[in-house]
Amino acid sequence: MIYLSKLLDQKVWDAFGHVVGKLDDLLVDNTDQTMPPITAIAIKDGSSEPKLVDAKDLATLWPSITLNVDISKLDLLKSAGHELYLKQRALDQQIVDTEGKRLVRVNDLQIARKNDRFYLTGVDVGGTGLLRRLGLENFAKSVAKLLNKRWKTHVIPWEDVASIEHDDPLRLKVSQDRLVQMEPADIASILDDLDHHTSKALLQGFTDEQLADTLEESSSEVQQAVIAALQPERAADVLEEMDPDEAADLLADMDDKVSEQLLNLMEDEDEEDVRTLLRYPEDSSGGIMTTEFASVPGNLTVEQALHHLRTNEEAKDDEFMFYVYLLDANERLQGVISLRDLVTAPLDQELSKWFDDDPVAVNPLTPQEEAAYLVAKYNLMAVPVIEPESNVMLGIVTVDDALDTVLPTAWKKKLPRFAGR
Amino acid sequence: METRFKAPAWLRKAFYFITLLGPGLITASAGNDAPGIATYSVAGSTYGYSFLWVILVIIVGIVLVQEMAARMGTVTGKGTADLIRERFGVKITAIAMLALLAANLGTTVAEFAGVAAAGELFGISRYITVPIAGLLFSLLILRGNYKKVEKVLLVLTLSAISYVVTLFIIKPDWAQIAQEAVSPNIPLDANYMMLVLAVIGTTITPWGIFYLQASIADKGKSVQEYGETRLDVVVGSIWGSIISAIIIIVTAATLFKAGIVVTAAEEAAMALAPFAGKGSSILFAAGLLGASLLAVSVLPLSTTYAFCEAFGFERGLNHKFKEAPVFYLIFGFIIFLGMVLALIPSIPLFDLMILSQTINAVLLPLILVLFLIIANDRSIMGKWVNSLPANILTAVLILVVVAATVAMFVAPLIT
Repeated sequence: MIYLSKLLDQKVWDAFGHVVGKLDDLLVDNTDQTMPPITAIAIKDGSSEPKLVDAKDLATLWPSITLNVDISKLDLLKSAGHELYLKQRALDQQIVDTEGKRLVRVNDLQIARKNDRFYLTGVDVGGTGLLRRLGLENFAKSVAKLLNKRWKTHVIPWEDVASIEHDDPLRLKVSQDRLVQMEPADIASILDDLDHHTSKALLQGFTDEQLADTLEESSSEVQQAVIAALQPERAADVLEEMDPDEAADLLADMDDKVSEQLLNLMEDEDEEDVRTLLRYPEDSSGGIMTTEFASVPGNLTVEQALHHLRTNEEAKDDEFMFYVYLLDANERLQGVISLRDLVTAPLDQELSKWFDDDPVAVNPLTPQEEAAYLVAKYNLMAVPVIEPESNVMLGIVTVDDALDTVLPTAWKKKLPRFAGR
Repeated sequence: METRFKAPAWLRKAFYFITLLGPGLITASAGNDAPGIATYSVAGSTYGYSFLWVILVIIVGIVLVQEMAARMGTVTGKGTADLIRERFGVKITAIAMLALLAANLGTTVAEFAGVAAAGELFGISRYITVPIAGLLFSLLILRGNYKKVEKVLLVLTLSAISYVVTLFIIKPDWAQIAQEAVSPNIPLDANYMMLVLAVIGTTITPWGIFYLQASIADKGKSVQEYGETRLDVVVGSIWGSIISAIIIIVTAATLFKAGIVVTAAEEAAMALAPFAGKGSSILFAAGLLGASLLAVSVLPLSTTYAFCEAFGFERGLNHKFKEAPVFYLIFGFIIFLGMVLALIPSIPLFDLMILSQTINAVLLPLILVLFLIIANDRSIMGKWVNSLPANILTAVLILVVVAATVAMFVAPLIT
């Protein structure tokens, strides 16, 4: 295997054995491919700007760098602007390993020869790459041999890598395409490790929904930074896509004026949901509930109820739908049925027969711990939240939100780099 | 219970100003740590007010350097170690990081020794205070949420007020101070030069630079808000320097006048009692304890982060040991060795402190040169590159530190 660090500063020879200069950099193009081809080499020969030579004039890279033309007949290239300068822009920089789902640093770059052309194949992110750069590879190899340890390089294939440079729109696009395929939680954990500028730039290219999903999994710091960086209209759109309880948490941490402005920009219905949640303390049932749940009116048959759920907008917003709630004309909670029971009930029967008419419920000021306790005790996937006197149903606390108290948030929330995460 | 109900406006305004005083104040206060207090006490008791001019130089130097670090952190969003690695490659990074590790290990030992000494002034054995400080603060930082950690750190910075109180108990002769600060009588001997270097080296530290830049980068303030960040850094730096000056004045007004030369912070604290009462002795000890705890909290972890970031090792406390072994090993190593070395009775702590300060002094010009190159690189800093006066002043600072370092090494050979 050929490594970039072994090539840099090596002499470049022409076809007749004249020294052209020293290798300054390698340029690759089409970085979205699995193995981007090397399109040119940069040679420094003492003049102010390095010379760019087309890769077709390149005979070999290893063990010596030789051109297949005469020095006097060199065709010099002009940079097209979109190539990736490997030494300048990739070596020593941070990249995302989309397979290992983490942020890594490029210690070296691996190059392979195929059909007389050279390609960028992988990124060395391991300690062996570091030792090679320090010129200690041979020493370390003999130590490894002495200790009977295997010499293991840690090279990530280029196709599993997203290079992230916020000032480079083209490559950022490639990175976004590769990142979007990851789970929102994994993207969020990478964002936590990234510097603020890069993470903001990276997220700009996401759709509102992708952004909302990622933000829901992100730490409060990342959320704040990202929302603050968006245009207010876009920020409002993203907030609409988020779960109302997550959106409320985010807005609660923001400056009053800004959160008020964003709320006003949101669709009325979403705005109303979030405002309701903002009225309650953060660690009460009201603060962690979601206002999106599936409900049906009382006097239906099972078949009518199923039809109602298929066509009802609010039911569509319920992302989990473990339960269907029975509400009367004044939105008072009458009963609950699990979706499973509803689906398996005979179609022509009266719905009310199948409902549990005394459901476990909490009120909005019930502490989060209490809700978590009820969820665990009764093996529930969600518990309804009702207004204490009127019995009007406000929302549901789902099991994952309730259990956040048991699994401390400190695990998830980011600490700055110097003070731990 | 944390609620969304907001505090009254005046309280929030006051709090807003305090939130501005974050990283800059913490860094500057941690700069007045155990080795710092020791050095100022030695300087004040040995040379009196004639040492105050050094603080005037230091104010310029520290504001200059910390402003640069803050600006780089704000503009790039990256830490010092990141930028060094990305700009200069593996070899220079390896040299800088190993030196940083060595220097900070030595400083950590000195901080634990400071905790031990301060604890003993309160009559608590070091075998109790050091393990408690090490474990408790590691735990706080490993498990705590940063906003809470920063609050604890800010409370610790308040311990410096004890020096201000001591100053008012002592009532020094201000006219004489002003006169000697402006036209000092500078003896040109190697010992004096060494102390000058030690005072610079203990105040303008590589770890202070790394810590400040990382914490500002992590706060994620935009360049538009840079004015606020700069305010924090400048106010913090000046406040830190004023405290340094007060320690020199306190020791000069009492110990120097009486002809008592001390060699450590705890000696200074004890020696103060006959002149200014037991109260000032206790206040001095409290300041030492607060600053040492502050430094113990931020130094080991910031070092570990810088090291892992530079080399791309998995880092952060949301990883298990198996995922980030280098991170945990280095952090544990610094804490453990720091505690053990501070507890072994026969270890020559004073020599160790001098050694770590010497490494710091040698490392500082190197870091500053790398710093200057990055701060002038338009591809990194954009329009936020250094101004010419900043470049000239930093170059002068580098020359002074180098000259003083050389003088310190050469002087013993000549005399």
